This record gives sequence, C-alpha cells and structure tokens, in this order.
Amino acid sequence: MSIPLAIYGLVAVCAAAMVITRTIAVHALVYMVATLLALACVFDTLGAPFAAALEVIVYAGAIMVLFVFVVMMVNLGRPDQEREKSWLTVGTWIVPALLALILLCTLLFGASHVTADPMPMAAGGPIGPQAVGLRLYGPYLLTVELSSFLLLAGLVSAFHIGRRIGERQE
Amino acid sequence: MMSFSFLPNAVLVLCVGALVQMLGVAIGRNVARDAVIGLLVLVASLVAVSMPTVLYMAGSVALFAPDVWASYSAVLIILSAIAIHIMSWRNAVVSDATVGSEYYLLLTLATLGGVSMTGAVHDVSFFLGLETLSLPLLGLIAFRNGRIDAGEAAMKYIVLSGVASAMLLFGFALTYLETGSLRFIAPNTGDMPEPLLATMGTVLVLSGMFFKLSAVPFHLWLADVLEGTSIPVAALVAVLSKIALFAAMVRYFASVNLYMSGPATNEVIAVAILSMVGGNLLALVQTDLRRMLAGSSIAHIGYLLVAFLSPGPLSFASSAFYLAAYSVSTLGIFALMAGIMPQGTDIRDWHGMFRRRPMAAAAMSIMLLSLAGIPPAVGFFAKFYIAAAGMAGGRLGLLLILVMSSVIGLYYYLRVIRIMLMPAPVERPEREVTSPWFGNGALIAVLACVTLLFGVFPGTLVDLGRNLIVMPSPPPGSSGQP
Repeated sequence: MSIPLAIYGLVAVCAAAMVITRTIAVHALVYMVATLLALACVFDTLGAPFAAALEVIVYAGAIMVLFVFVVMMVNLGRPDQEREKSWLTVGTWIVPALLALILLCTLLFGASHVTADPMPMAAGGPIGPQAVGLRLYGPYLLTVELSSFLLLAGLVSAFHIGRRIGERQE
Repeated sequence: MMSFSFLPNAVLVLCVGALVQMLGVAIGRNVARDAVIGLLVLVASLVAVSMPTVLYMAGSVALFAPDVWASYSAVLIILSAIAIHIMSWRNAVVSDATVGSEYYLLLTLATLGGVSMTGAVHDVSFFLGLETLSLPLLGLIAFRNGRIDAGEAAMKYIVLSGVASAMLLFGFALTYLETGSLRFIAPNTGDMPEPLLATMGTVLVLSGMFFKLSAVPFHLWLADVLEGTSIPVAALVAVLSKIALFAAMVRYFASVNLYMSGPATNEVIAVAILSMVGGNLLALVQTDLRRMLAGSSIAHIGYLLVAFLSPGPLSFASSAFYLAAYSVSTLGIFALMAGIMPQGTDIRDWHGMFRRRPMAAAAMSIMLLSLAGIPPAVGFFAKFYIAAAGMAGGRLGLLLILVMSSVIGLYYYLRVIRIMLMPAPVERPEREVTSPWFGNGALIAVLACVTLLFGVFPGTLVDLGRNLIVMPSPPPGSSGQP
C-alpha cells in the first residue's frame, strides 16, 4: 500500500461522508466534486489514467455542473438571492477546497517522485484510451450494445417520472 | 484458441422490438397500436427462443450460455410478460393516451433484461441484464399518476435496488481480485490463496441477489412496492423479476457443491429458513390482498431455496417445476384482481364473491389452493417434488420447516376462500365488480386450466424439467479473454 494511495482513499472517504451528512444540496455537491477528484486520483495511481480523466471530465465536470444547474433551476422564481449567497460563504467551500489541495499536493509529490518501485499497476502497465477502446469494440462489443438498451430504459423511466411530476404541478 | 460469443435470439428480437416501439412513439402516440406491437414483439421473441442462433461474434468474450436452462427460464419469463401484457390492457392507468405507449416499451425492456440475465455467464452481461430489468421497473412502479404511494414505492424500490446493485458489484470486484476473471460463477474457495476474500465476494453477491429476490431479511421493500403500484406491475415485480433472478442464481452456483458446509451455504440455509417462516408470518396478518401476496411470494422463494440447496438430479427439475407452478398461480390471482376489482384489493371486498361472480371465485380458489399446495392444483405436486428433492438431498431439517410454514400458509390462503364463500356484511357497501375484458377472461381461464391440468398430469412438465442442465460459465481457457 503506497502512501499517496492511502491519502487519496482517506480524502475520498472523508468527502463522501460529508456528502451524505450535508443538509443543503449545494454543499453536498461541492463535497461530491472533491470525492470524485479523489477517486480519479485513485484510478490514476492504479494505472488507469484514462478512467481518471473520464472521472474528472464526465463526472466532476459535466454531471456535477448539471446537478448544480438543476438545484439552481428548481428554486427559480423565489426570492432567495440572499439564501444562495449564504450557501457559498467561505466556511462552506474552504474544507472541500482544502481536501482538493491535499489531493493536488499528493499528486505533485507522486509525480516528482516516480521511483523504480512502481505502483501496483495492472500487468500491462498503464491502461490508455486505445486499450479501453480496443477492448470495448472488440471482445466486449455485445455488452456495449446491450448497455445502450440499459441507457434507453433509464432514459424512458426518468423521462416518464420527471414528466409526471411536472404535469401535476400545473 | 478462437473464442466466440453469441446473442440469444430472444434478446435480439426484444432489442429490435424495443427500437420498433420507440419508432412507433416517435411517429405518433396510439396506445392500442403500441399495445399490439408490444404483444407481437413478445410473441416473436417466444418463437425465437426455439430457433437456431443467428448472431455469432468471433473473437468475443463468452457472454451467454447456450443451454436448456436459459431457454426454459426465458420461455417462462416471456410467457409471464405476455400474461402481464394482457392484464394491463384496459387498465385505467395504462390506457391514458399521453403515457400508455411508454408502458409497453418499458415492459419490453424489462423482459429484455430478464431474458438476458437467465443466460448470462459473464459478470458484465449479468449486471447489464439486472439493471435493464430494474430501471424499467422503476418507471413502471411510478406509473400511477397522481398517486403519492406510487412515488413512495418507486423511491423505496430504487434506493434498495441501488444498495443491492452496489453489494453485487462489490462482490464481483472481490471475486475478480481473487480469481482474476469476470466469469459469473461462485469461486471455489478451496484452492485460493486468500479464501476469505473469495468467500466475502460470494457472500456479497449472494446478499445482493437476495435483496433483489426480497428474501427475508432483505424483504422490507416488497410489500410496500406491491401495495403502491398498479396490479399488473405488481405481478411483474412478484413473478418476472423473481424468475430471472432465481435462474441467474442457480447458474451462479452451478459449480459449487452445496452439500459442503461453508459461509455461502450457511447463508442460503439461514435465508431459506427465515424466508419460509417470515414470509408466511408476514402474510398471516395482512388485510390487503397485495400485501398478502407479497408475504406469500417471499415464502415461495424460501421453498425454492430448499430445492436449490438439495443438490442432485431432482434439484434443477424441482425448482424449474416450482417456478412454473408459482408463476402460473400468482399471475392468475393478479389477473383476477386486475379484471374483477382493480380497486378492491382489501380482502373484505371479496365477501360473497361466490354468489356474485361464481366463475371468478372458482378460478381464484384454484389459484389459492395451488399456492397453498393442495391437490389437485399444480402447487401440490410442485411442493411434493421439492420435498422429494429435499429428501434425496438429505435436507430433513429444512423440510420440517417447509411443512410447518406451509401449515401457516394454509390458514391465510383458505381464509380468502372462506371470505369469498361468506355473504357480504350488511353494514359494509359492496364494491362494484367489473367484468374482465375478453382477453383477460381468456387469460384467467387458461391459467386456471393450466393449474389444474399440470396438477393432475404433471408428466409433461416433469419430463421437460428432467432434461434441464445448467452449464456453469466456461473455464477461462476456452474463452480466451478474462
């Protein structure tokens, strides 16, 4: 067990615990971003930089931004400008920022100390985008096709539930 | 060695069918047309099960097993889906022109998930099938518009389903860590460097499956979900998803010697005992027919686990027979509820049913007798078959509990029949009884006839079950890929 991996794991667990104990959605979301960043660092350390990049771009980037948008949109039309300001005071974002800072420091430290003793990587070294793509569209092609139907099912279900609630509010 | 994979025909047909239904919704909403398309898709997939496989892929990971067990469970699942499809028609919720089309699309997708689970020999294909079954169920459970309990049921279902999926994935990850393969098979803990990890993986996978099967002590969601949702969807949750999960569980343990006492075997034994006793006790105190059926369904999972725990030639045959018997009887009750009294799920609403609707009451009695295990209904022979398997497997303690809990079960099944025989009390207004539409009436008649016929002449189904072989997923050497 390497020390950077332990730090990433610890940060991920702490931030995840904060996510589920916050009472205000926006606060939980900020911690969620820290969790996802920590997970990305774990993936990178384990030898999957592509998965780490996806974690940052897709989850911490796109999906979290979407969540924040939704939280803002749901409260539209209420006089809550002051409340929103109170959501993001220094006290609420300083801890997640510190957690992210720890991650950054550990990452830089790990990058500058690439030693002869490699990490417990997968047998073939780091798994890049090419390896993932070749696997997905080679031996696992059928699972990709099947997962498209899984996504379709999720989409139709979510659409249905969302629209019902929307229509009831009219 | 060249490896290849294939897609079962039924899965292929259901995938194409789902796309056709999507296309139909895109062109224009018409519930009647979409219902017909959905029915045609299901029938086509039923036909396709018996056809030779068309879609092969060379150089691919083995995802599905081409065995009789997969075909048998697939046929059972598709037949149940057709029955649910028929009883959904003219349901007030489904006929809503603005949303009805999605109902049939989600039904097709749920069937697709169930069918792909039954044949899965790879962790990925199993998990994809499981989620393809769970996510449409979420949409279907929440389908009753404006009903707060439908939302509550959907919420409970999605949270507990998510927990179960997480447990399953954790179990798969631990197994992968230990064995380095993603085969959908319980690892043989004997020859592992770290047997504890492999055991933990197996126990976690097992717990995840029990969550989805709603065996005691993982059963808390079932009664609320069945009560909160519409009757056809309740039938879907109680029958279709259970067949699929049980079939997959049998395959997962196909290579494990369940005689050997180990953590996994002990967990299954404990869950079987708890489910048999707990399910029946839960059903005993219910006044709502759907909640009673939830308890009964939990108890029947316990009976099935007894067959599952009795290795031998009778094990697969008796579980296959029991699955069919349970599905027919439970679907029959749900079809009756949907057809006769969609709103009257309180048991007291069924007072005097023998006088008001003698045929329906007779059919209902046949289904209840079958679930209770009284001859001449098929449930008697099914339970007898399980007892034979248990005797052959030397599971005497489990059989004792099976018999004792069946006696408890007898009470609440017969209570419903007694209430239907009694005249309605004067102070309680009689709830209006509707006549089922022609298809549902035919469905009820067919299910009642099947229950009686297989009860009197079980030979055909027994012969079918005797030929069932469950193939464990192939060893890594023949698949070529991890």
